[in-house]
Amino acid sequence: MLVGLALSLGLGLALAYGLLDRAREDAAIEREQRRNLISLNALADLAQRAGGSGNRVRAVVEATKDQLPPGSSVRVIAFSGIKLEASTFPEDQGDKAAPRRLAREEKSLYDRGQRLRAAVETNREEGNARKPEIEIELLPTGGRLFSAPVEVDGAVVGMVDLATVPLPTLERPGLGPVLLAFFGPMLVLLAAALFLRLQRQWHLVAVAAGVFLVGLGGYARYSMSSLEDGVRGSQGAVEDHLRAIAERGRAVITAQSLAAEPALQPDAWDTNLFRKPLGLLTAQGTVNEAVVTQRVEELQGQASRAFVLLRVLGLALLLFIGLGALHRFVATVVEHREAYSYIMPAMVGMVVLVFFPFIYGITLSFTDANLYNTNQPLTDIWIGLRNYAEILGDFNIARQGDGGVWVFNYLNFYWTLFFTVVWTITNVTIGVSVGLVLALILNTPKLALRPIYRVLLILPWAMPNYITALIWKGMFHQQFGVVNHVIRMFGGQGLSWFESPFTSYLTALATNGWLSFPFMMVVSLGALQSIPMELYEAARVDGASRWQQFVSITLPSLKPALVPAIILSVVWTFNMFNIIFLVTEGEPGNSTEILVTQAYKYAFQRYRYGYAAAYSTVIFGILLLYSVVQNRLSRATEAA
Amino acid sequence: MATRREGVPHLPLHVLLVLFTLFTIYPILWVVTIAFSGRQNLAIATLPPEPTWVDRLRAITPWPEVWSLSNFSSVMTDQPFAKWMLNSAIIAAGTTVVGVFLACTAAYAFSRFKFPGQRTGMMAFLVSQMFPGTLMLIPLFIILVQWLGLGSSRLGLIVVYATTSIPFSVWMLKGYFDTIPRDLEEAALMEGASVGKIFWSIILPLAKPAVAVTALFSFMTAWNEFILAATFMDQEAMYTAPVGLRFFVGGFSQQWGYFAAGSIIVSIPVVFLFLFLQKYLVSGLTAGSVKG
Repeated sequence: MLVGLALSLGLGLALAYGLLDRAREDAAIEREQRRNLISLNALADLAQRAGGSGNRVRAVVEATKDQLPPGSSVRVIAFSGIKLEASTFPEDQGDKAAPRRLAREEKSLYDRGQRLRAAVETNREEGNARKPEIEIELLPTGGRLFSAPVEVDGAVVGMVDLATVPLPTLERPGLGPVLLAFFGPMLVLLAAALFLRLQRQWHLVAVAAGVFLVGLGGYARYSMSSLEDGVRGSQGAVEDHLRAIAERGRAVITAQSLAAEPALQPDAWDTNLFRKPLGLLTAQGTVNEAVVTQRVEELQGQASRAFVLLRVLGLALLLFIGLGALHRFVATVVEHREAYSYIMPAMVGMVVLVFFPFIYGITLSFTDANLYNTNQPLTDIWIGLRNYAEILGDFNIARQGDGGVWVFNYLNFYWTLFFTVVWTITNVTIGVSVGLVLALILNTPKLALRPIYRVLLILPWAMPNYITALIWKGMFHQQFGVVNHVIRMFGGQGLSWFESPFTSYLTALATNGWLSFPFMMVVSLGALQSIPMELYEAARVDGASRWQQFVSITLPSLKPALVPAIILSVVWTFNMFNIIFLVTEGEPGNSTEILVTQAYKYAFQRYRYGYAAAYSTVIFGILLLYSVVQNRLSRATEAA
Repeated sequence: MATRREGVPHLPLHVLLVLFTLFTIYPILWVVTIAFSGRQNLAIATLPPEPTWVDRLRAITPWPEVWSLSNFSSVMTDQPFAKWMLNSAIIAAGTTVVGVFLACTAAYAFSRFKFPGQRTGMMAFLVSQMFPGTLMLIPLFIILVQWLGLGSSRLGLIVVYATTSIPFSVWMLKGYFDTIPRDLEEAALMEGASVGKIFWSIILPLAKPAVAVTALFSFMTAWNEFILAATFMDQEAMYTAPVGLRFFVGGFSQQWGYFAAGSIIVSIPVVFLFLFLQKYLVSGLTAGSVKG
């Protein structure tokens, strides 16, 4: 029991310690970043007031450089003339000192400036902040390079770069509290076991669980307060930095008689990457208590959620060990170690790349995941059943447009479902009838050349189906395709196949029909050949007609082979991604999408991962339902 | 007469079969024609401004105006197609090795040992075959590309293909292992051989045909796979052959000659492989019933 407590407590505390360490590191990085951004924005602001180029910019840089974070260097680039206006970079001294034209190998600097300009202009046009207006780049030295645009009269005329040195390694959070939280509960448990003489296992487990919660809870409290101290401490540090640089800025403005209007607003320098003020500091440059408290609470909320999870996990582990499940589990594994060791590699692969993604996919379907937020925790983008409601609850399938013409909403789920069902039924019907007829013909006794026909007729199945799809797409080309040539040969007009849903559907149907009949043919032929000839002979003796023979001998003998083949082919056709995706591409206007291609397009063309995951889950549900029903039916028919 | 007794005269059947076979192989003849035409054009023959019936017939006859190998030579040299084929070959080979190894060991355990979780494991493998591809695609994309940074990497595709091929391979191999009599192993056990030794030097050599068939299936599936490759490989240099072929004729690109030549190069090995494997496939599939 002591071991169990040690394990779960140790694990929980180690994780908590790691989390705290990371949170503190994040806080430190954030603090440094804010300081750097303040310096950068202050410089950009001053450079703007200095007109973006010329001697006054150099004076600004000269005057503020000792106020920058230690070890960092700045440069100012003006786009007109592609000039380096000012620089404190060590490589820009001597004969390469500013001002000078940028060298050819420094083109990346200019490009970065142009990117920033584009971002600023895009954001202004769209009226929102979508593209970051400040770029951060990791330098090979481990420091970071911050770049901000310089705007004069509403146009981006240059860029300010700030290169910083790497962060000093942080001191780790103290180990003392961790050890206290570890050994305290252990001692309590030991004492309880020794002095209280707890005889029953579950008493011991209960005590262990109790002290576990107390130990981890204590450490959680400690981490919270340490986190809060950290956040408040950084506010102070940032505040000091802002005040110092603002003072220097005012001095420079007077000394160089820069434009004093509008008045300097140091708090607007403390921004995020979109150059929107964070609001953590007031206009006077002091800490804005209300906002900071809110921020602290937000952080603590996240941390406490993590701790709750840790507690649940630890407790589960504790109970698992304490109640003897681990013991039994280990015993089973040891007893069957050979079997498990043979299965382990495959199982691990399956779990990591099949089962986990499957569960993750279903989880995603309850979120609003898209291209931009996949790195956020799922709880932040959780939207419950909204995706499903949107998919299944949208009955806006068709409306009557002008002049009584029905206009379909092809993106609607039920349209796509309807189309998929029609697509599946028609394809399977064609496949089965063509395949069966061919098999019957080929099964004619003593038919010459049968092996040759057979091989040639299997070819469509043997070809990779994406190639088949692309070939047929070419053959249905409006101007040069052979299909239209044939139509014109008989005096018709060539069709533009992909401009109406029906003809578009026909192209896909032709393609898929072409490649799916050989499977049915092979299956039927195999079954036909296994029918003993004696049956027919007996039937003939009894005077049965050929049709009677077909209905009462051939069809029943085909059934055991054909039914599984049909079941299989329904699933295949239902999921026949390549043909639709490559032949019709859903044209016109998504009318010929089947469910799987529609889901794919939601994910990889509209980048709505969460929605697409919900869509796929619905497809999975349909397939599951299909297989359950099909199992029931086949059992029922077997029993009958 | 024999035909009277057989019921149907053969001649009409042959006419029917020949016509249908011609229809069936027409697309294949078409692609061969384009490939050997030496041009990028989709049309087999250029039509005069006022085409007659004969001109049109010429335009659909799968016989190139000029025979030329230039499409084949330039698709392999001027275009990065050789590189794409190499990518495909590496990926398919890697998939086969990894997938078959994992499947062999797992199938052996499922076939020879009794252990808790055996039925659950087999069922889990079977059920996993029902997961729709698109449902797997999104999480796999996020995990492999966004988390692990394996986008446009051969390793990523190998790992994915190999694991997705495991269930089918395990079912096929287990079926075969079950037919190998246990006497041999029991005798070997008496001699003091370890389980590992039995597996490597008795079971695997005996199961060679089944392992070979499974390996060929894995290879073929990986070689023909399109969706995952198209989703994961977004650098042109890392395309596989299927994605590359699509690249020739997708969007606004109309390099039908390259496409046709490339298609033939890519198809020939798998078509022969398929014709050879087809009888195993039919029995394996229909026996396993639903497999999506």
